[in-house]
Amino acid sequence: MSAMRVDAKVVMLGKESVGKTSLVERYVHHRFLVGPYQNTIGAAFVAKPIQVGEKVITLGIWDTAGSERYEAMSRIYYRGARAAIVCYDLTDSSSFQRARFWVKELQNCEEHCKIYLCGTKNDLVEGDRSLRQIDYHDAQDFAEEIGAQHFETSSKTGNNVDELFQKVAEDYNSTAFQYMTAEETGVDLGQKKDSYFYSCCHNN
Amino acid sequence: MSQRTERRGIHVDQSDLLCKKGCGYYGNAAWQGLCSKCWREEYQRVRQKQIQDDWALAEKLQREEEAAYASSHGVQTQSHSQASTPQQQPGHASLGPFSKFEEKKTNEKTRKVTTVKKFFSPSSRTASKKEAQEGRTPSPSISRHASFESDQVSKDFVDFLKNLQKPGRDIHKQCRAFIVTMSGKKELSAEELSECVQDFYQNMADRLMSHFKGSSESVEQVMDQVEKYIMTRLYKSVFCPETTDDEKKDLATQNRIRALHWVTIQMLCVSMDEEIPEVSENVVKAITDVIEMDSKRVPRDKLACITRCSKHIFSAIRITKNEPASADDFLPALIYIVLKANPPRIQSNIQYITRFCNPSRLMTGEDGYYFTNLCCAVAFIEKLDAQSLNLSTEEFERYMSGQASPRYSSSEGDWPSSGSGPATATNPVLAQLNHNLELLSGLSDRQETLMEAAQSLQADLLSWPETVQREVHNILEKYPLEIVPCTVSAIDANNMDNENLPPPLTPQVFAG
Repeated sequence: MSAMRVDAKVVMLGKESVGKTSLVERYVHHRFLVGPYQNTIGAAFVAKPIQVGEKVITLGIWDTAGSERYEAMSRIYYRGARAAIVCYDLTDSSSFQRARFWVKELQNCEEHCKIYLCGTKNDLVEGDRSLRQIDYHDAQDFAEEIGAQHFETSSKTGNNVDELFQKVAEDYNSTAFQYMTAEETGVDLGQKKDSYFYSCCHNN
Repeated sequence: MSQRTERRGIHVDQSDLLCKKGCGYYGNAAWQGLCSKCWREEYQRVRQKQIQDDWALAEKLQREEEAAYASSHGVQTQSHSQASTPQQQPGHASLGPFSKFEEKKTNEKTRKVTTVKKFFSPSSRTASKKEAQEGRTPSPSISRHASFESDQVSKDFVDFLKNLQKPGRDIHKQCRAFIVTMSGKKELSAEELSECVQDFYQNMADRLMSHFKGSSESVEQVMDQVEKYIMTRLYKSVFCPETTDDEKKDLATQNRIRALHWVTIQMLCVSMDEEIPEVSENVVKAITDVIEMDSKRVPRDKLACITRCSKHIFSAIRITKNEPASADDFLPALIYIVLKANPPRIQSNIQYITRFCNPSRLMTGEDGYYFTNLCCAVAFIEKLDAQSLNLSTEEFERYMSGQASPRYSSSEGDWPSSGSGPATATNPVLAQLNHNLELLSGLSDRQETLMEAAQSLQADLLSWPETVQREVHNILEKYPLEIVPCTVSAIDANNMDNENLPPPLTPQVFAG
């Protein structure tokens, strides 16, 4: 059981049931779960090491509550985050409006936080094109406007999921040098996390 | 105390190896020149006395505390200890408990420093060994301190640093110096204190980083111990300090949660079904954990309580929904738990953790995640209004003012019948209560039957001898006992019938 430190905090933002949890679940455990299943207690927080070049970057992935009820508190969640994955459902235009809201919040409050725009449930759209409510190019334009990366993913097929998180880790690694001040060195110390907990819960 | 040092000095110098009591066995310097047997006896006695003294001291302190509190609010503990010292006769054999305590405190301070120093200096191996032995000696008068907890943590800290050899000494020295500086900064605001502590963490971490050549794992280990040591010692002065309005906020939140007692699990859309025994068990554990947080001193321990609480909530949700919980399920559940638990001094605890925890833990790690959720839960409760519970403003007002209760209205149908009818109340506690009542009434029924049976048995038993008597009587009456006079006759006593006997049988009487 080795202690694991977390290099960067990544928050998942997005409306309820856009599939934030599924996205994390797919990425961390390479599975898409349908129906009842056992042996996991929840994926609200995951520490995931990622190989970037010769280094290993550990992302601490924070799931957040997407309900509008808790909108006022969302600022507490993304405080200090180095990256935010703002999710929207490709089949639900209202979720895209909410995504815009979070992007604005992030731009106002967390200037060091990189934004990744992520359209989920791509498999549904591929199955039936009429379900698509958010045009790829609209989202792409929006992403360019806010200086964000744009991905369309499917947690069911795993399409683009690894690429998204890999990109997050790579970007963190390349920008880390810029922000690596004395303060940051200190911040990384004393961090003690074990991911063993997660692996042991999922592997038995 | 002075006596003790003298004695020890003599024994070490003369290297008198026999037991001081003269029992013939070899003594040991660590046992103050006694052999193990005599030491144990001595130690038992001294310890008994120590315990009694401590009791007296504790009572005395309590009284002084009360007196001081009554006369002037906010007098520092130190100042009354000084005020009361002159009343005692310092240095005397039958010291009052208080001055003894003071002396011990200083004595221990100096001793501990030298112990650590000597222990780590490689040149004087034998000396350090002796010192270390003394340090570890369970001598009753040495190991006492202001409180058991800080004493224990100091000891643990020293033990931990011993493994680090030379740098351990530096770390210890710095920590002690820092604590002394901090205790002199009572007038600073909480934010400034927090800054001091954070700066200290920072500097310490930087030094350690260069010493361990970037092995962050070792640095973390040491930093955890440093945090534990420092914060346990500083806890009293920096937790909920008077310079802040933390206490006011605590009370406000506490009252707020009390006023919200009517909020149901359904209003918060919590996916936990408390009627499943396993779930309600986890809920109870979660509540216990979040309440327990207040009893911990070290920020990291407090965080651990929150994490444990959160894990229980996750289990509860998983059991209910049969699928892993996401943040969308978790946050409402945590809010519900906080409402149920009404954890003591929650605002102070949150502030304390924010100010004095090692920052990286708060910002990124798992503990940090759960802590953030707790902050959100508390923030939500503070701002909670009709909209956030999907209620109309009027309803919300009525519930808040206590004019109506959602529980009554939702289970009104069951309410009057719940006493006698089957337990269909929505509230699991009520259901449990009804269940228990049923069990009890069943039990009392059975007891009644048992009593009846017992009574009839008693009646049977009572009437049995009578019946027997009567029967015996009847039989006796039916067949009265007739005693037939019995004629006892000795052989040949009278030979009345002899004459009737036939001749051959006629007894012949011989004379002679």
